[in-house]
Amino acid sequence: MVQLASGTSVSEQLQPAKPLLSWVTTAARVVLAGVLIVAGALKIGTPALSVQAVRAYQLLPDSVAQVVGYGLPVLEIITGLLLLVGLFTRAVAVIGGLLMVAFVIGIASAWARGLRIDCGCFGGDGTLAAGQDPNYFWELMRDLGLLVCAAWIVVKPAGRLSLDSALGFTGEREPADEDASDGGEDDGA
Amino acid sequence: MSKRTSEAARARIAAQREALRKQEQRKRITMVVTIAVVVVIAAAFVVWSVRQGSSEKVAGGLAPVTVQQDGTVVMAQPGVTKPVVDVYEDFQCPACKQFEETSGSTLKNLAAEGKAKVVYHPITIFTQEPTRSNSLRAASAARCITDGSQWLAFHDELYKNQPQETVTGFTADELIKLGKAAGVTASGFDTCVRQERNVAAHQQFSAQTMSAQKLQGTPTIKLDGKELGNNDAFVPSALRDAVESAAR
Repeated sequence: MVQLASGTSVSEQLQPAKPLLSWVTTAARVVLAGVLIVAGALKIGTPALSVQAVRAYQLLPDSVAQVVGYGLPVLEIITGLLLLVGLFTRAVAVIGGLLMVAFVIGIASAWARGLRIDCGCFGGDGTLAAGQDPNYFWELMRDLGLLVCAAWIVVKPAGRLSLDSALGFTGEREPADEDASDGGEDDGA
Repeated sequence: MSKRTSEAARARIAAQREALRKQEQRKRITMVVTIAVVVVIAAAFVVWSVRQGSSEKVAGGLAPVTVQQDGTVVMAQPGVTKPVVDVYEDFQCPACKQFEETSGSTLKNLAAEGKAKVVYHPITIFTQEPTRSNSLRAASAARCITDGSQWLAFHDELYKNQPQETVTGFTADELIKLGKAAGVTASGFDTCVRQERNVAAHQQFSAQTMSAQKLQGTPTIKLDGKELGNNDAFVPSALRDAVESAAR
């Protein structure tokens, strides 16, 4: 660890000032990462169904639905893994947040158009079982909650137990000069 | 301010700059390594996933196809009675179309190889319009065909030309055209389709099948009477493994 003249290390200086808030970020990372990894893992093995679930929304042309059906589970898993280890946390959280925005738009539009589908979030082909009703409200609430997690991580990135802070990446500021005595207080939010 | 403190301050700034420079460098290296690792992992996932989803080609000829009295259709080599793969499907159901596109060729190959007896059970699962009537018309038209291989060709044409779930489709004219494309030669096919002659028989068969088999949805694939999960039915290689190990 690099020692400064003052005796404090770079990464200590760059740690967010309030420990409790950085634990909140860690919790948000674990929740968002967990959901993304599980959702991706449940879909990646049956891409034909994943494509079918995308088609059920009747939003994308077929060739795009194919790409999304195959690509989305991979994107979800990788985004989740990076969030879990906390590497390039802010940029990855932006991707996670954009995913949630896309899901919210998709589900809301299916609801608005009166489609009767399952969101296909955790596998399946998007069809409801016999006698089952759509569950759009709770699906939207869940994804909006995850969007809040993503937004929190973007605003207060990395948090405890992240590779970013272990590697000293948390402070993205210009070199502090002599009279910048507030170094380490703001974490670039 | 004494000279000493300003020297100390300068040293401190220099040390800080050096530390930050090193940190930037470390960050660049980490970024390159991360991107490389992500690309490798993503590529591996995609390759595996594409493999999971890839369909077989119909290798050679088909096993003989026989239209049964009750409306089911059997595809099997002579003398092959097990394992039995039952396919409960609805010509209007998008997931059935997906199943046909993904795993239909695997079933054809398995039957041709004498490794399975495949039984198609066309039913109507929909309760709302326009999907219900679309499905009834299509299934009724299929029952106008008595030749097995023509029936199977018509079956394939129906899925290839499946209407959207929100529009009226599978009209008599369309069905007759699909029959032509499938090489249907049955005399009176056109009239049979136009008169929707088999709707009642199909509806009765459909209701009976759904309650007897306790179907939750379509497609439902059963292997020797046991329902196959989606992870087998929609992954051609897994479907083949399941059927082949049931044959042993």
